[in-house]
Amino acid sequence: MSSAIEISGLYKKYKGAWSAALDGLSLTAEKGRITGLLGPNGAGKTTCINIICGLVRADRGSVQIFGHDAGTQIQTVRSLIGVVPQQIALFENMTALENFRYIGSLYGIAQVTIKERSKNLLERLGLAQHADKRVGRYSGGMKRRANIIASLLHQPDLIILDEPTAGVDVQSRAMIHEFLKEYQQAGKTILYTSHHLDEAEELCENVVIIDEGRHIISGSPKDLIIQTRKQTDCRKLEDVFLHYTGHSVRD
Amino acid sequence: MKKITATLIKEWILLRRDVAGLLLLFLMPAILIIVMAMVQDAPFRDYQEIRFDLLLVDEDGGSLAREIKSGLKASKNFHVIDSLEGSALSSGQLQKLLREGDYHVGIVIPNGATAEVVNSANIIANNISRKLGLGGTMPSRSTRDNRYVRMYFDPVSKPTFRTSISFALDRFVTYSCSNLLVQRISQLSKLAGDSAEMNDDFRKVFAGIGIKEEVLNDTQGDKTYINSVQHNVPSWAIFGMFFIVIPIAGHMIREREDGSAVRIELIPHALRLVALGRILFYTLMCTLQFWVMAGIGLWILPLLGLPALYLGLHAWVLLPVSFAIAFAATSFGYFTGAVFRTTNQAMPFGAISIVILSAMGGLWVPVELLPPVMQRVAMISPLHWSLEAVHHVILRNGGIGSVAGHILFLMAFGTILWGISIYKNVSRARGI
Ligand SMILES: Nc1ncnc2c1ncn2[C@@H]1O[C@H](COP(=O)(O)OP(=O)(O)OP(=O)(O)O)[C@@H](O)[C@H]1O
Ligand SMILES: [Mg+2]
Repeated sequence: MSSAIEISGLYKKYKGAWSAALDGLSLTAEKGRITGLLGPNGAGKTTCINIICGLVRADRGSVQIFGHDAGTQIQTVRSLIGVVPQQIALFENMTALENFRYIGSLYGIAQVTIKERSKNLLERLGLAQHADKRVGRYSGGMKRRANIIASLLHQPDLIILDEPTAGVDVQSRAMIHEFLKEYQQAGKTILYTSHHLDEAEELCENVVIIDEGRHIISGSPKDLIIQTRKQTDCRKLEDVFLHYTGHSVRD
Repeated sequence: MKKITATLIKEWILLRRDVAGLLLLFLMPAILIIVMAMVQDAPFRDYQEIRFDLLLVDEDGGSLAREIKSGLKASKNFHVIDSLEGSALSSGQLQKLLREGDYHVGIVIPNGATAEVVNSANIIANNISRKLGLGGTMPSRSTRDNRYVRMYFDPVSKPTFRTSISFALDRFVTYSCSNLLVQRISQLSKLAGDSAEMNDDFRKVFAGIGIKEEVLNDTQGDKTYINSVQHNVPSWAIFGMFFIVIPIAGHMIREREDGSAVRIELIPHALRLVALGRILFYTLMCTLQFWVMAGIGLWILPLLGLPALYLGLHAWVLLPVSFAIAFAATSFGYFTGAVFRTTNQAMPFGAISIVILSAMGGLWVPVELLPPVMQRVAMISPLHWSLEAVHHVILRNGGIGSVAGHILFLMAFGTILWGISIYKNVSRARGI
């Protein structure tokens, strides 16, 4: 299986920071799979995603998305990926539909197509009745779901989600999971970060654990648990995580 | 193009829902224009333009008094009051009214003034008649009295006021006296048997001579002076236009804070078109603002008893002028939104800088009244160039040629600021 994301030797030090946010990070995400990018606070997950989509420039290293170099072909890369940022990246004073209409137009999608796709996605993510409500008046879970829709209007082959389930209730989270699984079954690749390890264990076929900007370990959750069990008492992904990243508080 | 149109629509939706921003853009300058134009209406008129109540006591009852009275009444400057509650004003009443301060100036034409002038005129006419051998004589007596037309002022009136009024009155008295003299001479010539036409010539003696003020305009016909409306409408319209800094910077920073700016950056090839669309939208909004304010000057202010705004002989020149001002103002807003990180920094900077630049630029007090140093400092204020350009058109009847430099300056100012902002935005995204 060929890979959707190929990252190697990524190094990034922010201006004024005394240690690197990414310190030679390498990882791959396979096509058509859901890959979890896991790590404690400040591990460098958001930085890694921002470099992939060209919001932050890396000091060293390379990022290949479906064979396109993110450093030199960022516009092509951006058209292939749908990034769901950690913050809600929507215009709060516009309704969900107005947001989608505007964002879709900027992608160059025809109005009828935008209408059709938003209608589908809104229904699928349980927002159909709230399409004409201003996003600023949405609940946290509704905002998260609308944030996802906005990133999928151009039907990207690769979806990158930065903590899509942060601060959402159990129902919303289940809905998002269901949705992501369906999307994967349609042949799309998904990379996502989360602090919910049980969620990652259930959803991901592959996980990458990083800490302090470095790759620690990767593999399928099952394999990682079996592997770790050789060294310590381990029943779930959380045990693996704690074993490799330690118990001290970060940030 | 579709992306720019989409941005125009989106900015319109956002501005429409930003009630505070809309009020700031349209209501604030409208109120400023109306209030300031009313408040400064009187100070902007000089004594020549205001009609004064003038108390007049006629103790004479003769033709001289009649002439003075009708001359004053015909003048635009005076409103003659010669009777109180139906009966003629007396000298005592006049002095009392002035002391009470309700009126500021009064004149008394003394008893016998006409007789005195007629006597003098007759003496002169007789002299001429004798020397030229015309024959006729008119009755005269040799003793002469002093019968001055007396002026009284409210004790608190300023010396400049007194001189300008006494000059004006002096003219009427002299005119009336000369008139009488001419009449006498013409009567003499009638006695001598001259034709009627010649008498007419005498009467026309004063027609077509004297002083008349002409206004310096490039074409005849239209006359404009700086007045409260001509000063305040452009000043506060420009002030309000530059206040567009607040909503633009506010929206930009809010979009960076809530992450929607990131969303735009993630869309391939969208960033620059979105920036262009935003500048275009606000420039159009701002131009509209100018014309709404001009509309207030044209149609609302006259309803309040003020003169209507006069747009000059080349009003169309205001279109490119208002567009250039709008572009400069919008770019300043874009710059503020790009350079500052938080609204807490941007809002005070925006508001205070506009107030300072407008004071510097002569929006509060005309530049001519500023000290020489400040007049030179004014040159760096885009608001000064804006106001100057509008003044050229509406006061000096200037054409496009007279404001080309101003338009160029404003467009350059806007372009430079916009360039800096785009660079700043890009480096913010990359450099972190
Ligand atoms: N804009 C920035 N300027 C300076 N330092 C930054 C910036 N963004 C992140 N960092 C630092 O880089 C490191 C990695 O941060 P990053 O946001 O990538 O972590 P993360 O894994 O996404 O954390 P979290 O789980 O809390 O979202 C942290 O030490 C953080 O403080
Ligand atoms: Mg993060």
